[in-house]
Amino acid sequence: MQKKLLELEFGERGVVREIRTSVHDLNCMGIRVDRELKMVTKQPIKGPVVVLLGEMQIAIGLDLAAQIIVDVIGKDA
Amino acid sequence: MADSTKKKITVLMVGNPNVGKSALFNRMTGANAMVSNYPGTTVDFTSGTLIEGRQEYEIIDVPGTYSLEPRDAAEEVAVRMIRDHPDAVVMIVFDATKIDRGLYIALEVMEQGMLCIVAVNMMDTAHDKKISVDTADLQKVLGVPVVATTATSGEGIRELAEQIRKAQVADLDKIIKRLNGEIPDKKSVGGCGGCGGC
Repeated sequence: MQKKLLELEFGERGVVREIRTSVHDLNCMGIRVDRELKMVTKQPIKGPVVVLLGEMQIAIGLDLAAQIIVDVIGKDA
Repeated sequence: MADSTKKKITVLMVGNPNVGKSALFNRMTGANAMVSNYPGTTVDFTSGTLIEGRQEYEIIDVPGTYSLEPRDAAEEVAVRMIRDHPDAVVMIVFDATKIDRGLYIALEVMEQGMLCIVAVNMMDTAHDKKISVDTADLQKVLGVPVVATTATSGEGIRELAEQIRKAQVADLDKIIKRLNGEIPDKKSVGGCGGCGGC
């Protein structure tokens, strides 16, 4: 099932399938197509989402997170 | 003692924010640049001197940057430093736990055709997280010297200083060919990692 990164639920894991904004900006932070990530935190009051990429956590603004399409592959407890 | 007939070589320390560039810089030069455990501490450059093998090096600690397309003032400083020192040796610093992100900036720097050397820093953290980094293989693929370091303990610093003079210009076409297995591995002699420095 495909979702926007923004819509991933806590603990849900996904694989990046499409980046609809500056690919370069996200690539240099480690977010690339086919990269697996996991939703860690969604900050309240339209705050950023925090995803776990391997060993690093990256905070992404809501607008940017809406431009990243992921395939949901599972959910951790 | 430095040989006064030899020209001073500039070394730029480039890498992502929070990979330990300043800690490594302090270790190599004995300087006292501010170090903290969050990214963005170095927003302007600091320079220091290292004398190794009768050669004097001016080491410049550049602010961390994710790419060579600047997105803030500190990144602009980094990009300007690289542009203003085309003859410098670039020491690309990796965080051993985030190698892929380091490789992105490394390849961008290598595209500029500058002399490069790679320091894989924070090896102690990688060890704690049970991450192993095959620096010899990385060296073979990139074709530039790769040294494993831990700035906080000083591990690998001497070797890194010795390897600066072996810095190489990386050939991106060859890197791609090596990754595709189009260039067969040369048999290394006497434990040589194959950086080509000799």
